[in-house]
Amino acid sequence: MQITFWGVRGSYPVPGAATVRYGGQTSCVEVRSAAGASLIVDAGTGMRALGNKLLREGSGPQSYNVLLSHVHWDHIQGLPFFSPAYLAGTKIAIHALLTAADELQGVIGGITRHEFFPVPLEAVPAQFEFHQVEAGVEFDIAGGFHIVPIALNHPFGAIGYRIECDGAAWAYVADTAPFDEVLHKQHFLPGPEPLSSDDKLALGAMREALVRRLQGVDTVVYDTHFTADEYKRFPHYGHSTPDQALEICVEAKVRRLVLYHHAPGHSDEQMDQIAADYLAKGEAVGIEVLTSFEGMTVPIGTAT
Amino acid sequence: MKIRFWGVRGSFAMSGRDFLRYGGNTTSVELVTDDGHRLLIDLGTGATELAKALMGAEFGKGAGRLPILLSHTHLDHIQGLPFFTPFFIKGNEIRILGANPISGLSLEATLQNQLAPHYSPLNGLENLAAGVSIETIQAGSTLSLPGFEVVTQAMPHGSMWTTAYRITADGKTVTYLSDVEYPNADEPSAEAVALAQDADLLIHDAMHSDQDYPSRRGWGHSPAHAGVVVAERARAKKLALFHHSPDATDAMIDEVVALTASHTAVPVFAAAEGSYLDV
Repeated sequence: MQITFWGVRGSYPVPGAATVRYGGQTSCVEVRSAAGASLIVDAGTGMRALGNKLLREGSGPQSYNVLLSHVHWDHIQGLPFFSPAYLAGTKIAIHALLTAADELQGVIGGITRHEFFPVPLEAVPAQFEFHQVEAGVEFDIAGGFHIVPIALNHPFGAIGYRIECDGAAWAYVADTAPFDEVLHKQHFLPGPEPLSSDDKLALGAMREALVRRLQGVDTVVYDTHFTADEYKRFPHYGHSTPDQALEICVEAKVRRLVLYHHAPGHSDEQMDQIAADYLAKGEAVGIEVLTSFEGMTVPIGTAT
Repeated sequence: MKIRFWGVRGSFAMSGRDFLRYGGNTTSVELVTDDGHRLLIDLGTGATELAKALMGAEFGKGAGRLPILLSHTHLDHIQGLPFFTPFFIKGNEIRILGANPISGLSLEATLQNQLAPHYSPLNGLENLAAGVSIETIQAGSTLSLPGFEVVTQAMPHGSMWTTAYRITADGKTVTYLSDVEYPNADEPSAEAVALAQDADLLIHDAMHSDQDYPSRRGWGHSPAHAGVVVAERARAKKLALFHHSPDATDAMIDEVVALTASHTAVPVFAAAEGSYLDV
């Protein structure tokens, strides 16, 4: 199994000279099994270039499975621009957590409502299926993928995934805040709220389940949107820092951490600095820390 | 009056080396009068770059005032809204003006839907700290904004309508005709020509090259030469090709400009992210 990054940015796409090397497109990762089966994780703007590549290399209409961490714009905005969807015979199964809405199809279809996009979901030639995902309810996907959904700490909820295939495992942990200062619920947070004892228990349980699910995976791709200074200013935004990710990875004894969901304001130079700093910090605790960039492919080793 | 293009790309924000000279951000255009009145057209990703500049001045202190005209609510024209940081500062007063989308939803309901909790942690316009007013305009009406006189006009844009703007300040006129497709690209509507009459600058949809256009007819966008026809008939003084296709690299846009300019006496350039230009 290997994974390829098509979008590594958080929040919104950032074109320009400052993002040429790490890339400006938002969350999208392509997974390939050794036998060539594919799976797509998140449908951010990186999905446009992925779709164009799949069409170029494809032999006619295919079936695609897309796992969504949640449906914030930066994780779904690529879907209307996924060119295989406009090829009759294409099948697209979307697996996602339902947040703040009654049904998944309405939420996904809602991004191509008339006032937002010229082609509504119903008019797209591809055939869509929608599957609701729940934390802890494992499932299989054609091609030999076994999926373990994990609850994350993000406004209105998000789901991480442990993805097993070919006797190996990796995990996608985005978007999430750490599990100490803020508990994200079903309402807007203008700032951190005081935690009740139940909130603290809920955070502890979420963290414990995450560490348990990450136990022994080869590679963890983690939301490390913020630097430590930025996190101090925005602890209620639902994102983590590389230090917070590293702490989880040390406890779960993973081999490799990939920094991901970079803040839109981080230039290539800042990312170089972060990459160098955390390569060294990782080495000190026995974890290989990579910093994702568009086009990066990471082979997933056999789980230990 | 000065103008600055913060986003010139249509449909989709394009990052990478091939899009550096013209820029990859989706549509957002700033106008500033000689005495400092400011107006923004469209809230594509380009608006997030302007936001950084604004936050360094009065908008960072909660003393900013800004009217924003929306051409329509397709995502590439509003996707910068949740990240336009002046919205997050109490005291700023920001007006969003646009027509209701034809779908029957109001402009306000549409923007609320963009910020619905499943799509955005902001969970609604009411959580923006700034004073935000959503003002529905009737296309065809005229608007008086501080420092600017604005004439509005509905234009066909595929399956919906877009609002085009003729904006006058300091004795200069800019006409914004983005996201338009005339039934016949060689015969633009009389309304478009009237809106651009004697304009100092015409900004026109040029999503498609003239060669690509025949296979993309009906998508709601113009070929490059449509803007030339409008500019010539309206005696506009200058033409900016705008809303570049996400597939158009810098080199391809260079070619479109060269080809388009070779067929007209109107000075033609391709809108590019960058610096303030005198109108």
